[in-house]
Amino acid sequence: MAETDGRAMTTGPYIKAANLRFAYAPGDPVLAGLSMSAGAGRLTCVLGPNGSGKTTLLKILARLLAPSGGTVRLGGRPIAAYRRSDFARRVAYVPQETLAAVGFTVMETVLMGRSPHTGALGFESEADWRAAEDALRVTETARFADRDLAELSGGERQRVIVARALAQEPDLVLLDEPTSFLDIRHQHGIYGLLARLVRDEGRTVIAVSHDLNLASAYADDLVLLACGEVAAAGPPEAVIRPEVLEPVYETPVEVRTDEATGRPLVLPRPPR
Amino acid sequence: MTSRPFTTRRYVVTVLGGFVTWLVVAGAAVVVGGRLWSSGSAAQLHNLLWLRLEWVATASAVGAALALSGLALQALLRNPLAEPYILGVSGGAGLAYILASLFLSMAAAPAAAVLGAMATVGLVYAIARRRGRLEPYTLLLAGVILNAFYGAAIMLVTAVVRPNQRGEIAVWMMGTISHFGPQWTLIGLVALLAVAGGVLFAFLAKGFNLVAVGEDTAGALGVRVHRLRLVTFVAASLLAGVSVALAGPIGFVGLIVPHVLRMILGPDHRRLVPAALFTGAAFLVLADLAACLWEGTANRAVPVGVLTAMCGGPFFIYLLRTRWRKRMAVR
Repeated sequence: MAETDGRAMTTGPYIKAANLRFAYAPGDPVLAGLSMSAGAGRLTCVLGPNGSGKTTLLKILARLLAPSGGTVRLGGRPIAAYRRSDFARRVAYVPQETLAAVGFTVMETVLMGRSPHTGALGFESEADWRAAEDALRVTETARFADRDLAELSGGERQRVIVARALAQEPDLVLLDEPTSFLDIRHQHGIYGLLARLVRDEGRTVIAVSHDLNLASAYADDLVLLACGEVAAAGPPEAVIRPEVLEPVYETPVEVRTDEATGRPLVLPRPPR
Repeated sequence: MTSRPFTTRRYVVTVLGGFVTWLVVAGAAVVVGGRLWSSGSAAQLHNLLWLRLEWVATASAVGAALALSGLALQALLRNPLAEPYILGVSGGAGLAYILASLFLSMAAAPAAAVLGAMATVGLVYAIARRRGRLEPYTLLLAGVILNAFYGAAIMLVTAVVRPNQRGEIAVWMMGTISHFGPQWTLIGLVALLAVAGGVLFAFLAKGFNLVAVGEDTAGALGVRVHRLRLVTFVAASLLAGVSVALAGPIGFVGLIVPHVLRMILGPDHRRLVPAALFTGAAFLVLADLAACLWEGTANRAVPVGVLTAMCGGPFFIYLLRTRWRKRMAVR
């Protein structure tokens, strides 16, 4: 076999979903034959109105939900073919909410990311400890290491959860609305961090987002969902356009160019 | 508190420390109990020591099984109130034990208790299952409701049986270590299952930690969440069932021991599981010794279950007023 190890792949789609179908209740499909892909070493943002299937798609990519039809390939291999721990070493998932009031410290929380790498009894090696420390450093959370996760602010806590994902040393990081509860400073903090992960560490990142401008400013590629299908995909300039967005969000928008970043900027307009 | 890596060395220290603590407590309990009542010959002392050994072994096995069962159920249901006694498992075992001892034979009662526990588990599981998944809150509620039903059924049985049987049932329902004849086979079985449960839960501990912070997080980190729930639920119920078969329904051990350990050791189940095994054993040995000493002086039977419940009630209120309130505020 030439190359089934996705780690060595640096070009082309790292993860590719084809014809995904999913329904929580029969007759009410959430995904209706959705196909998308995310390039290796790129930051891809999944956008779309409420109920368009963003979270469902992300959970299928993370193997937390099994689609009723279609396939997902990771590094060219169907995700169902990976062994559980093997898959968890490659793909990290950051849920929208994490229960913090359990009493674990920040370091203990980040070390949980090592879980797919440790043995059955969960003993941690020097390498596990080092990976956790690296993750704390990259996310600038090392000074909280011994604090209870519940004592941290929303922005700090989200960085710690990203650190846990990084401690997994994954190739692909999936994040479900990582900035939904954060103020603008922390929103940019998190997206700046995701952009660095892609640029400096060569990881592939897929983030579900509600914020078109944040996604436009940081993402390499956008995937816009509407009613469980892909309405548009490509670089921000190709997706953040009034003729693409207006039918999907059913509201008028104006698009300008942000002079600071050169990226398109969306301004919602009152319905005509 | 400084975080330190969970290494093999720390694990061995936890396990050995727990084992030695239990050994010292158990040894002391055998000797103290035996000496206190020995007024006569060497043969009498010999018999007393044997009797003490049996009670201490019973208390150890039951205490370990109940503490592990409580710890696992709390982790599984992400609810600090979960415990075999509260979830109806002990009640189901108790009702089956009483019915079997009345209508079949005393010999059939222990097996009936285990079956009663497992039947309760099956029932709770069937009620709480939705689309192939186990819903923690429905599970807890189903358990609480079944427990109330079993309580009423046991009262009904107690009301209609002959007066002399009524007393026996009442004493048994209080939870007691020291009232039955030699039953080394059952003691051995409970001890074996407690140790097996400890080993099983040690392997599941990593998953318990992850499920505590979120189901999706656990799944994404490689835990088979549904299978973990099923295995844990069955194992925890089995442990509770055999405990009831041996010593009657003893409440609060599964609640007090895991909570005290969490206060001392933190929330990491990799440390809590071995600690619960040995601390649960030591705790019930001490509680039973206290009950025996009391019995020795007042010459009346003090069931150990009454003692643990009397310690447990105030302790529970203390927990509710201090620790949980702080946690709720954080939330």
